Amino acid sequence: MFWRLLWKLLRASSGRLTVAILALVSCAMVVSALLNLEFDIERKLTQEFRMLGANVLISPGNAAQATGIGPGEPMSESDVSGALQDLEDPAVVASAPFLYVVERVRDTPVVVAGTKLEELPKLEPAWRIDGAWTSPQDHLNSCVIGRNVARQFQLLPGGLLNLTYLGKSAQLTVAGILDAGGTEDNQVFVQLAKAQDLAGLNGQISLAQLSVRGTTKSISQYSARLAARLPAYDVRPIRQVTEAESDLLNRIRLLVVSMVVLILVLTALCVLATMAALAMERRQDVGLMKALGGSIERIVALFMAEVGVLGAAGGFVGAILGIVLSRWMGQRVFGTAISSRWEIFPLTIALMVAVALAGALPLRMLGKVKPAMIFRGE
Amino acid sequence: MATLVEVEDLRKEFGNVRALAGVSFCVQAGEWIAIMGPSGSGKTTLINILGGLDMPTSGKAVVDAVDVARLDEAGLTRFRAQKIGFIFQQFHLVPYLTAVENVMLAQYFHSTTDEKEAREALERVGLGDRIEHLPGALSGGEQQRVAVARALINHPKLILADEPTGNLDEANEETVIQLFRELHGEGRTILMVTHDPSIGRLADRRIEFAHGKLKQILPSFKPEPVR
Amino acid sequence: MFGRLVRESFVRNPRRKLLTAAALVVGMAVATSTLTIVLEVGDRLAREFRSLGANLLVTPQSDTLPVEIGGVDYRPVDEGAYLSEDALGKLKTIFWRHNVLGFTPFLDVPALVNGSHEMKTTLIGTWYEHEVSVPDGTTFKTGLSFTHPSWKIQGRWFRDSANEAVIGANLAARDPEVFAIGKKIRVAHSGSANAAWDLVVTGIVSTEGSEDNGIIVPLSFAQRFSGRRGQFRELFVSALTKPADSFSERDPLKMTPTEYDRWFCSPYISSISYQIKTVLPGTDVRAIRRVADTEGSILSRVSTLLWIVTLTALGAAALAVAATSATTVLERRAEIGVMKALGATNALVAGIFLAEQLLLAIAGAAVGFVVGAVLARSLGASIFGTAASVRLILFPVILGLAAIVALVGSLIPLRRAAHFNPAPILRGE
Repeated sequence: MFWRLLWKLLRASSGRLTVAILALVSCAMVVSALLNLEFDIERKLTQEFRMLGANVLISPGNAAQATGIGPGEPMSESDVSGALQDLEDPAVVASAPFLYVVERVRDTPVVVAGTKLEELPKLEPAWRIDGAWTSPQDHLNSCVIGRNVARQFQLLPGGLLNLTYLGKSAQLTVAGILDAGGTEDNQVFVQLAKAQDLAGLNGQISLAQLSVRGTTKSISQYSARLAARLPAYDVRPIRQVTEAESDLLNRIRLLVVSMVVLILVLTALCVLATMAALAMERRQDVGLMKALGGSIERIVALFMAEVGVLGAAGGFVGAILGIVLSRWMGQRVFGTAISSRWEIFPLTIALMVAVALAGALPLRMLGKVKPAMIFRGE
Repeated sequence: MATLVEVEDLRKEFGNVRALAGVSFCVQAGEWIAIMGPSGSGKTTLINILGGLDMPTSGKAVVDAVDVARLDEAGLTRFRAQKIGFIFQQFHLVPYLTAVENVMLAQYFHSTTDEKEAREALERVGLGDRIEHLPGALSGGEQQRVAVARALINHPKLILADEPTGNLDEANEETVIQLFRELHGEGRTILMVTHDPSIGRLADRRIEFAHGKLKQILPSFKPEPVR
Repeated sequence: MFGRLVRESFVRNPRRKLLTAAALVVGMAVATSTLTIVLEVGDRLAREFRSLGANLLVTPQSDTLPVEIGGVDYRPVDEGAYLSEDALGKLKTIFWRHNVLGFTPFLDVPALVNGSHEMKTTLIGTWYEHEVSVPDGTTFKTGLSFTHPSWKIQGRWFRDSANEAVIGANLAARDPEVFAIGKKIRVAHSGSANAAWDLVVTGIVSTEGSEDNGIIVPLSFAQRFSGRRGQFRELFVSALTKPADSFSERDPLKMTPTEYDRWFCSPYISSISYQIKTVLPGTDVRAIRRVADTEGSILSRVSTLLWIVTLTALGAAALAVAATSATTVLERRAEIGVMKALGATNALVAGIFLAEQLLLAIAGAAVGFVVGAVLARSLGASIFGTAASVRLILFPVILGLAAIVALVGSLIPLRRAAHFNPAPILRGE
């Protein structure tokens, strides 16, 4: 009978309940969308700050820095690549060795960076290239030049670049022009083998950079493990999210949470208003039930159950909409896929039930209704 | 015959208004009492107190050995569920429950629901073919008969009726009054508020009120029971 | 008479209006505070971002190609172009001068420093806190403390014109005995050991960048050391900007006069850069893309997020007010019945009720606005450190919203009330 009664109550007042349901559904939608995003957001926003670039640096040990043109003692290419292979970790998105040599182009000194040209776009996704990273016809002899270099020497993709170093020279094809927004715009990037060959520094590199995915903690752990494998060199995370940055992110999150709390309060108010209207409509019925021997507790329990069902239904529908909303937002706003987490459902539903019940608490005033007062007018 | 209701110096004041100014009388089990008097004389107040819907300011009101005046909220609730059957002028059926569900509602608040029993109760008042109807689809008389079935379903000791035919037309009035006569014949105790002298004459005794006081108690001349 | 009826109706039975009033106040407070915050968030975040560092880089246009590895420029000092320090005051005269929060010039000079053995390093000449004279007669304090707030110092920074130095953390770690706070170090030109200078180490800085390998000195010292008086090589600027969009990236020379005005008067990086180039001729002004792009994308994402939340809040507020308005009308069906029984037309009844709801809405919205403004200020203060400013323009908006929602909310039950037969109501059903 309880459920029958509940069902009939809900059906009878369905019109009046629309407002409450609307409020509950939209509130649930926002809450569940934010919850779903929250699991992914921190990572996404943090990555923004890091701007997806190299974040681990392998360089020669401290003692050997800045002793001449070129940054210090060369490192062994095989040592580094060997260590990286041993510690094979799927979190490493890209890795590239670099050999810096100051060579001459038409008698002007220019910094030449020998590296694995194909790795560069993976290492620094923010770098923009006009042209290609390597020339399809001539893989080994292609180069990528920074836009300042291109401007200085009036070079275009497809043009030819002559590099000389201590008497040796090489002719390279410009595959693309790099716009990195930094000092790399002043450099010429060639294949590592070519740079090593030209400078007579076979098997050597100046440093190596890695791009590793993960949290600050996991990146630190990885670089510590790598450092252990390369005791002669300096391995450290660079460009990590600073305290100030993560503090800002936390505060943004706090702001969003505060606003959502306000929405929760408003939703409870909507429920309250609706139930107040219902309570009035039902005064006669409540008086009757009391006359029939219904105790206040049972009657209030009935109405609370009604509100609870509303909250659960609103929460369920809202959660579905919210997950859809979060996926849309993930795509359009954050440019990334958001997965649907099914834990959202019980969380949202529970929250909405709580909000609905909170809003209906004043219904307990119904308990004060004196049945005699209802019937007095006769 | 046992004394079912005993009222002693019952008073009820609403602020400055004295609804009942010291009323005393007894009702025996199986009696049909008509409570009559002009409006505002305290009839409804008396019924409400006896039914546990209202508390007196002072005095005793004993129904089936329970002094209603001394009950607390919980006690009153149980009292209403177990001992009393109400029938109102306005019927007061729940508009979104069917006839049988309205009867089951009374069962629900008493103990457990028994749909079969509820259906039989409706059949007994002649509404066997209206069991699944909503009150909106029933005539005034039919609604009141549902109310009667509801009032009886928990086998109450006392039936309290407040102008049960006040909202009915003549034809329906007849039907409902006939029901009450049958109930009386079965030995039920009925306290009915009415302003209609012809109905009053059907009762065993008439208690007349005026200005919150009992004016007089008259036994009725009872016609032969109608077959 | 109408006015009197409304007044009487409004004043009677204040308790019944409590729920509507509560919904109005809370609803409009939430609406006000969320709107205030979301309209402000762009500016707030822009300021927050500036606390993370400079976002513009100014370099000489005709400079030769920097021979720079790991942030260290290996070009000989007499090579390349330089900029004049005197001109810097003009940065505070551009249209967007109030958005220029700080700027710091840099002049790098290779040097030899006496450690346990002679070490090659770079002297990085710059300002920490320096007063720049602005052409309008005022001075402007700027320097590293404004453009590089993330640099962490152990000890203290040098005074502007003293022979003091701050050592980069990596360099200091190589010879902690020599590079200790309070110790004197000796620097000389690389190549010729003639003139040598003594500097007192006042602090050790950790920049997480290439500067950790160098020695940071006052700009004036670096200028004397290199013989490049009054000059510097690059300038970092921290400016409050608006994120770039398709409009901002257009070529200003190809814009119509109105478009140009709009672009000039918006603090896009492109227009601020343009204005800087005007007062500092011969320069190249670029956004430090890593910083600017990041900020732009975070800003737009947070903005969208907040707008969605704000719109939901507005919706919830509207629903709350509509619900309570409807409830109020319902409560007073008896009154409506009486009035109709007395012969009032539907129009009159509706008129009285709607007028009353309107009054209530205005009163409630006004209070709600004040509460919401306070809420926004305290939220802004606790989260961003400075209180959000109250936007009075929102007041009529909030009033309008409340009025419309309250009216619409009451209208629906009133229409049903219009069809009420007063009799059942009067009988108490």
